[in-house]
Amino acid sequence: MKKLLSNPLVLIGFVIIAGILLLALIAPLIAPYDPEAIDVKAILLSPSSSHLMGTDGLGRDVFSRMLYGARISLMVGFVAVGIATAIGIVLGAIAGFYRGWVDTIIMRSVDVMLSIPTFFLILAVIAFLTPSIWNIMIVIGLTSWMGVTRLVRAEFLSLRNREFVLAAQTLGAKDARLIFTHLLPNSLTPIIVSSILGIASAVLVESGLSFLGLGVQAPQASWGNILTDGKEYIQFAWWLSLFPGLAILITVLGYNLLGDGLRDAFNPRSSQH
Amino acid sequence: MLKYLLKRFFWMMPLLVGISLISFFIMHLAPGDITTSEASFNPKASEESRQKLRELYNLDKPVIVQYGLWLKRMATLDFGTSFASHQRPVFWQTKDKDGNVTLGMIQEAIPITLLINVLSLLLIIGIALPLGVVSALNQNQLPDRSITLFVFIGFAIPGFWLALMLMYWTGVQHAWLPISGLQSLGHENMHWFAQIMDTLKHLVLPVFISGITGLAGISLFVRNGMLEVLHQDYITTARSKGLNENRVIYGHALRNALLPLITIFGLSIPGLIGGSVIAESIFAIPGMGKLFYDAVLMRDFPVIMGILTIGAILTLIGNLLADVAYAWADPRVRRGVVQ
Repeated sequence: MKKLLSNPLVLIGFVIIAGILLLALIAPLIAPYDPEAIDVKAILLSPSSSHLMGTDGLGRDVFSRMLYGARISLMVGFVAVGIATAIGIVLGAIAGFYRGWVDTIIMRSVDVMLSIPTFFLILAVIAFLTPSIWNIMIVIGLTSWMGVTRLVRAEFLSLRNREFVLAAQTLGAKDARLIFTHLLPNSLTPIIVSSILGIASAVLVESGLSFLGLGVQAPQASWGNILTDGKEYIQFAWWLSLFPGLAILITVLGYNLLGDGLRDAFNPRSSQH
Repeated sequence: MLKYLLKRFFWMMPLLVGISLISFFIMHLAPGDITTSEASFNPKASEESRQKLRELYNLDKPVIVQYGLWLKRMATLDFGTSFASHQRPVFWQTKDKDGNVTLGMIQEAIPITLLINVLSLLLIIGIALPLGVVSALNQNQLPDRSITLFVFIGFAIPGFWLALMLMYWTGVQHAWLPISGLQSLGHENMHWFAQIMDTLKHLVLPVFISGITGLAGISLFVRNGMLEVLHQDYITTARSKGLNENRVIYGHALRNALLPLITIFGLSIPGLIGGSVIAESIFAIPGMGKLFYDAVLMRDFPVIMGILTIGAILTLIGNLLADVAYAWADPRVRRGVVQ
């Protein structure tokens, strides 16, 4: 851990993510206003000491909404990637361990999923369901497991014939034991790296969907739907567009730095470059 | 080469079947059947239009028959007519008894989206190649560091937010560029050259927005590819036989570093097509992305299913073209020496 944090990229990414996580956790304690409270006397106020990031078209405090929006972004990222990673590990492990026709079927399904433009797929599913935070998380998760599947399969294929695995097999270890105590733990690093990078793109997708009005629904705050208001008032209220955009940028940057830094730290070959 | 092409083409068939299965599954996601959910979302949906929907997707027949009929629709690219836009054909033009032609909705939208994507690919190549090469040749020095910073920001910046900021800065504050649509008022009365310039001006921001992530990705890819190749033995050989450094870099290293780029472009097609939703709906450009977005808002199911399928087919064609280009550029692939 100490060695990891000495990598400046990992450190910066870690600080950013930890900071946002903390702000999201203590949001109810530090938010100066109720994020959904409408105040007609305080419409579109520019940033000041009483409203740090100004107010929106309904007089809601943008700073409080940003804090609660952080909770949405983090939750969507974790849950969506949790779903995707779980599916990816199971399918990738089966494909890489048993090979043969199961492998063929799973990998062809990956190809099929990759050939449908993901954003179209997500929007199409949402059109048939109702947009809600849970549906968004599930849909993002169900449309982003392909990378992990390929990764886990590749790891399993390369580990499968290593001496320690063959030794365990010779000693009579069952399939489940081989998979869970030998193969999976040795594939963990790339899975973690790809999950962290996956969270970054899930955050971007969620904010894009909310911006289009198909994600988190009003009055609940998300960075994406604060930006929708920002678009409407772009000529009068720059603060409505600036802050949520910056928040998304910094969060995604944080995950990317952390993910890339970890990959470099664990992979001696890539640090040569 | 012909054998390779045929093999590659038949490879697409199982993928098409898979796509038909997924789209069929999505159609049946809605609670109940889609006729009732359409009615609950859109109270104006008449019994007549519900009946149409039932007929279009044969909802009164057994599931397996429904799937067979859906497969037939996909094979003939017949996606029916739109609910929202006065029964216009979804995909391609139709002629009525009197010989009047009604253009298909996707037919009108596809050229616009393809134009934007081709332009943004050109923009990506034009900017990312030099950036990647400069970065690799100055590894870990100031130019490399700043380009890497640009790459990280390019990956993390939400496209729609950048679009908003650019709209505000170049359109609202300075009025340098138009921020909506493809044509100014009075476009029809312009000289043809002025018409082209007018449309190009409208395309600047959308093309830049759809290209920004790819720009970052390809710069990084070219940089890493160059670094990898520059450490190869044949580069050392080329240098030690006294070849001019420019020839080494542009004649030997760059050519080999660029080869995998063909595949990357192929893989980036679904992202570009899917990403067109955001760029086109922000800038009000009547392409596939905006058509899809509007269809989702109005729950115009025939249009949604049509675009989903056509988008997937476009992706398959793009991947096929990329593979063919790769085989053309690398004889080892087309002779089956390497995968």
